Amino acid sequence: MTRNARLSTFKIMDAATVAIALAGLVLAATLLGVLHRATQGRARTIPARWNTDARIVSIEGVALGARATLLQFSTEVCTPCKSTARVLDDLAARTESVTHVDLDVTHRPDLASRYRVLQTPTTLILDSYGAVRARIGGAVRRDIVVAELQKVLAA
Amino acid sequence: MTATKATATPAASKDAASKGIDPRGPRFGAAITAVLLIVVIALGLLGGNPATLAERLVQPSFLLFAVISLVFAWGAFAGIQRHPYGVLFRNLVRPRLKPPVELEDPTPPTFAQGVGFVITAVGIVLYLVGVPYAIVVAAAAAFVAAFLNSVFAYCLGCQIYLLLARAGVLGRKRPAAA
Repeated sequence: MTRNARLSTFKIMDAATVAIALAGLVLAATLLGVLHRATQGRARTIPARWNTDARIVSIEGVALGARATLLQFSTEVCTPCKSTARVLDDLAARTESVTHVDLDVTHRPDLASRYRVLQTPTTLILDSYGAVRARIGGAVRRDIVVAELQKVLAA
Repeated sequence: MTATKATATPAASKDAASKGIDPRGPRFGAAITAVLLIVVIALGLLGGNPATLAERLVQPSFLLFAVISLVFAWGAFAGIQRHPYGVLFRNLVRPRLKPPVELEDPTPPTFAQGVGFVITAVGIVLYLVGVPYAIVVAAAAAFVAAFLNSVFAYCLGCQIYLLLARAGVLGRKRPAAA
């Protein structure tokens, strides 16, 4: 009974406290969502001079584009991967000598580790040498991919 | 649990090729789930920690949470197309909306239902063995996932699937050269 008594002191939580706790939870989830959205689709440009042999992407069975490659890492359970694939496919079709490669990491976890894929989709923009020139985490935005691709193609 | 899902995936994706779903359907369902989970958390906090198993089994927070968990199981094992909230969406909401811009593969939301089922089932088991506030904690975790999915289209299932694949739990059915 003493255990019950101790537990029951714990159990008194009034409606106002509960309402505050719930409001806090909704607020925290909203903040998380806003933060996450802000990081999605952002490109990190990697200057060509930083590229060493170690940064050159070479994957057996994958042919790179003559001028640039849009290399996408996906899984089949990923909804934003599908929209990203559509955007990249379309860009590759419209731009000469640019190829879109969509790799399912389910079957190649070694690639996910090698290229430090922490979310899907992750897109790497490779130049004609296969060097990584930009990295985009999350669903891509067309204008951002175009801008990064222009930088690679201009060089 | 993960093993059954992994083997279930290829069958689901075969289905997917033939028929896509309205992407707003799962987000609508996630909104209902998020609201119900808020109610569970409120009931759980107000109800405290019952001392005996018999008392725990009749707690309103437990009963509602168990229903939510069963609905997740339904979505995960019967497929998102047969999900009760999906039926509600198709019959009540979809006719009032413009047609979808694009259809979506049902595999990702079906996997997400499985993730929801695992989170809620773990909460239920811990609660029944007497871990204080296990349901409140599990419901809060599931709420964050459902809320982010509904409001921000965030895909927690994608993240978990990737981690499992990287850990070698899933996949490796086909070797190299995709």
